[in-house]
Formats: sequence, structure tokens, C-alpha cells
Amino acid sequence: MPSDPKHLSGDQAAAQQRFLSLFLRCEREIFRYVAVLVPNVTDAEDIVQQTAIALWEKFDAYDPGQPFAPWACRFALNKARQWIERRQRWQALLDQGLAEELAQRRQELQPELELRLRHLAGCLGKLPEGQRSLVEGYYYERAGIETLAQRSGRSEAATYKMLQRIRHALQVCVEDRTKPEVA
Amino acid sequence: MRLSFPSPEFDDLVAGVCHGSATEAEMRALNELLRSNPKARDEYLLRIELHTRLASESDLFSQLAEAAAICRLPDSNAGIQQSIFPLNPPVRARRRRLAQVLALAACLTLIAGGAWALWFKGSATRNGATSTAVAMLTRTVDAQWGQSTEPPRVGGALERGTLRLKSGLAQVVFYSGARAVIEGPAELQLVSPVEAVCPHGRLLLEVPPPARGFRLRTPQLNVVDLGTSFGISATGGQSEVHVFKGKVELVSGTAAKRSLDEGQAVVVQGRGQPRLTAASAETFASLFEFQQRSLASEAFRYEQWQFANAKLNQDPSLLVHLDFESPGGTEWTLRNAAERNRSVREAIIVGCARVEGRWREKAALEFQSVNDRVRLAIPGEFQALTLSAWVCVKGLDRQFNSLFMSDGFDPGTVHWLVRNDGVLGITVFGPDPGKFQILASPSVLSLDTLGMWQHLAVVLDGKARRVIHYLNGFPVSQHPLKFGPPFRVGSAELGNWNARNGPNPAPALIRNLSGALDEFELFSRALTDAEIRELYAKGKPGL
Repeated sequence: MPSDPKHLSGDQAAAQQRFLSLFLRCEREIFRYVAVLVPNVTDAEDIVQQTAIALWEKFDAYDPGQPFAPWACRFALNKARQWIERRQRWQALLDQGLAEELAQRRQELQPELELRLRHLAGCLGKLPEGQRSLVEGYYYERAGIETLAQRSGRSEAATYKMLQRIRHALQVCVEDRTKPEVA
Repeated sequence: MRLSFPSPEFDDLVAGVCHGSATEAEMRALNELLRSNPKARDEYLLRIELHTRLASESDLFSQLAEAAAICRLPDSNAGIQQSIFPLNPPVRARRRRLAQVLALAACLTLIAGGAWALWFKGSATRNGATSTAVAMLTRTVDAQWGQSTEPPRVGGALERGTLRLKSGLAQVVFYSGARAVIEGPAELQLVSPVEAVCPHGRLLLEVPPPARGFRLRTPQLNVVDLGTSFGISATGGQSEVHVFKGKVELVSGTAAKRSLDEGQAVVVQGRGQPRLTAASAETFASLFEFQQRSLASEAFRYEQWQFANAKLNQDPSLLVHLDFESPGGTEWTLRNAAERNRSVREAIIVGCARVEGRWREKAALEFQSVNDRVRLAIPGEFQALTLSAWVCVKGLDRQFNSLFMSDGFDPGTVHWLVRNDGVLGITVFGPDPGKFQILASPSVLSLDTLGMWQHLAVVLDGKARRVIHYLNGFPVSQHPLKFGPPFRVGSAELGNWNARNGPNPAPALIRNLSGALDEFELFSRALTDAEIRELYAKGKPGL
């Protein structure tokens, strides 16, 4: 029986399965890698999506002997670059080699960041109820700022400000919890 | 603009970058600072990393939400305000990325939202009691449908009209029993249970004796079947008919009626005379291969579903997940596959026949007699509940057909059901005995949909004080909820109901389901529209 290439063969299905499991395993890592350059969450997610598509298109070229994440991150960097090139604002931020420098420096700081941020869960638990539900709404539920503002009866600007304050409180908290161990 | 560090301006600017609100001038200033000041750069990286973790580690929250849910009091004012918000609030799906990738793997654009909405509208407004359907779509392999038609669903009824298959294969069974396998690109006009027109495309027809006389037309040919298996190919001015079994009667242009026997074929070009040749099975090889492929495609969907479940089962808010596959300790139990909630270990099967589920390999349980039921005990109090099930309803025999019901009428419990008129309903019992609220959708299950696997879900949102019913991933109705949390489940049954201390047995108290179930999920939070759509996408039978 002749096989028509546009139909999914068993091999292709298996390749998709393999791709999915590899990709999903390091999706978070790719997201964080991208978000160092473009911290805005929805923008970073868009770039990760484009990366996923590019990865799948080039999955044939992936060498299974090599770790997947670094291979994927190279694609992510490319996609991020393309994305940034089309947006003047972000170009202004990442101009003159800053993009590469940030990616590089983050790599070096990794152990230190890890040490601090493992306290994040504990610190979140310490937030007052109102603040925690705002963080949860913004980061977890991904509710829009208008919705969050309406919910809390604040203005949108005040809601942004509140989020900034909460992140600051979390940062102070993780720093505090890190100190005794360093000393 | 010059920026110093540390400074309140720096703090504001980093926040502005996170929120995506910083201006170009601000970003340029930040760029200069970060390139010239290593301290500022490291501080920036730490802040961004913190922000990024919050955005990517959903575990941070789901555990928290669980713990908080028990002590959080509902804000009733906010709740009422929320419940009048339009459907589809601007919630960006938390798991959009996963959905995207899964869609990618399935080689289709998953978020064909528009098309789905259309399909949905069609089936919802369809009159429940009558049907103009002439055929049914029974199987597909990699089928991509033309945009001008609503994508039909496997197992769904097909009404009179045109099917446009861009690529892939699809099997259509006419109500007369005739069975057509179409290969895209193709167009097939369904005229009646015994008649179809194929302007272009390739198809293979099998016509069992009861459907004898089935007519198929192409631009050049008019074929009347006399109990056979034959192939039709119509392309740019040329039509062919190949008879593989039995005999057909054939009219072409002005030529006289003639019959064609097994092993014979006729080719007509333009307005030319029919030319007789030998039937070529080769030409229709891909269609003969269909069954084989369709099995492979089923296996693929089934694997995808298993794969998606592995991830879903890690969701901390998932209280119960019965996939009807995980064996319990004994053959009359089903294991709860939710990994993070072990307070419910198993469900107990009473009666029920074991049948085939959405896919051939998938197990399901059929409920038929008044004894059939699956019993569960779910401790705890919840601020919100989401119930989701894959159901193949065979008939709406009872006034209330149970999907999932807590025993009796205890405060805070729920009864989820399908009414005999195709309405999805949930009854929520208030904190005081005797108080309850019935939240019912419009009639959405029609006769056409009986016997099809359907995804039903309902979200009971205590915080927003609202209930939303879903059918196949789409919201069908939204209602303000009178009672606030906590909600409970306690002892409950799938596919039946234990009235316990209710009033004397009355017909309304017999609520056994007539149909099959092959998946059930219960979450302790309100899933978003996008998440429900994803649950549907995870489990829908076809690609």
C-alpha cells in the first residue's frame, strides 16, 4: 500500500510524543530564559509559543544524544531576538549587548538566585490575605489588571503599585531568610 | 533621562518593565544604567527572576490556594458584581502554552474558537425532538475541514448540505446504511439518506442490501448502486467509477443507461463518451487503507490523552480523577488517579457493565439498571467545585438522570444531572435544611447527540457566586448563585442517587443514568473557561 506523506505515520506520531515530553519537561526553563530578556509575562509566553513551533519544525535536526534544554534555549534566544527587533521599546532596553550580558550574568548568578528563591513559597505564605490573593490573581489566575482592580476596589495604577510593593516585600523576606545560612 | 541606583525611580522602572508599561525613554535609561553599573544589573536580575518564578511556578499557588480556601470568607458584594460580568472574562489561560503545544502535536489549530462556536450554536439551537440529519460522521483520520463548513464531529449527525474535506480521510454512514469513505480534498453534498453528489474528490462507497438503489452523482456520471462496493473519482472534468464488488447502473450525458460489473471501470472525460477499462484498486489504495489508519489515529489520541493526564493528575486542586482505567484494589473498585489528594483512594462499582469508551482501547462503565452506580466518599469543605465528565447518554429515561449526586439533601451538597428535556442542571443545597437552588441550562442535549461521547462540566464558583454549565468545552449558561461556600460532597454517586432519608419513594427519586461514563474529574476550585476548553481538548475522541 502506498503511503501518503501528508498523513501521520506511526513514526511521526512517536516523534511528536517524544518532542512533547522533552519540551514540556523544560518549558519552564525556556520561559525563564526568555523572561530575563522580556520580563512581561504575556509577551514572554508568546515568544515561548513561537519557540515551540520552531523547535517542532526543526525537531528532525535534534540530536537525542545532546541535552534538549540548551538546544531549545538557542532557539528561544533567536525567537526573542526576532521579537525584540520588531519592538522599539524593548530594543531600547536590550540594546548594545545588554541582552547577551543579562543572559550570561544570569547563568553565573544561578546558584545564588536559587539559594534565595527557594524561600519564595514560605514567604508567599506569610503575606496578608489581600496581598496574597492579588499576587495569585495576577500570576496564577492571570486575570487582567482591570479585573484585579475592580475586585479590590483600587485603581489600575494603584493595583500595579501594590504588586510592586508585594514583590518588594517578598524580596526582603527571601533575603532575610537567606542571611542566617550565609553567615 | 538619567537613572541612579539605588533609587525609587529604579524600583518603579523595573516594575514597569515587568508589567510591560515602561516607555521607550525609560527603557533606554535603564539600559544605560544596567550596562554601566554591575550592582544595578545583579539587582535587576534578582527582581526579574523573582517575578518570573511567580509567573511560572504554579505549584507556589495551588498549594496555597488549597490551604487558604478553608479560612477565606466570601466577599458577597464582590461576588454579585462578578456574576453579572459577561462570559469569557479576559482571563489569559494559565495553561495556554501547553494547549498550544498539544495542538501543535495534533497537527491542528486547536483554538478554532470561531468554528467551534459556530458548531455549538448550530447544535444548541437545533430542535431537540426532530432531526433533519441524513448521515453520521463515524471516523476520521487527520481530517481537515474546509473553512466554509462547520467542522463536523466524529459521532455527530450530518444534516443535508455540503461537506468540504480539505485533507485527510473521513467516513460517513448514511442513515440508509450506505457507507462512504472520502479522501480530501473532496466535496460531498449530502442530499438524502439515499443520495449524494460528489463535485470533486475521491471516495469509496459500500452499499449493503438495505441501501440498494443509493444514487451518487458526479459532474459527468450518475451512478445507481445495485448492492456493491465501488470507487468514484472526480477531478477537473474527468469522472471515473470503479466497481470492486457487485454491480452498478450508470448514466452519463446522453449515453444510454448501462450497467457495470465487478472488476470493470468507466472513465468519462468532459462531454466525451464513457471509456471502459479495468477497475484499479490501486487508485483507491489509501481509502482501503482507511480502517487501518483510523485505528492508528485512535491509538494516537488515546496516547495523547494518557500523556495529558499524567500532567493533570499533578494538579493539587484535583480531588478526584477517575479515568476508568486505573484498577483499584479489587475488580469492583476504580482507583483515584489524582496524585496530590489521597484522601479519596477508590470508588466502588455497584453493578454496571464494562464497555468500550471513547477509544477502542479505553474502558468505560455502562449504567442501565436502577442498581448501577459508582460510589465515592469525598471529605472536606470547599470554596469552589468544578465537575467534569465524559458521558455517552443513551436515553433520557428519567425526569432527572444523575451524573453525579451527593446522597440525600445535606446542606452545601450538590446534585448534577441531565433533565429529560436535555437540560443540564445542578441543584445546590443551602446552609439551612430545605433551602436549595436549581441552576439549569437551556436544552442542549438533543436526540441527535444521544449515543455520542460528550464532555459535560459545571463550575460552582463560591467566590464569584456563580455557576457555569459547559458542553464540549463551551459555556452554555451562567447563573448567579444564591448560596455561598462552603460546599461539600460527602458520600455521593456517579450515574445514580441515594435518596437516603428523603421523602417516600417517588418517581422523581429514581434517577439512574442510561448511558456510559469513561472519565470523571472533580476539582476544589473554579476552573476558567480556557481550562474547561482544555479539558475538552484533552479528551475529545477525534483529532
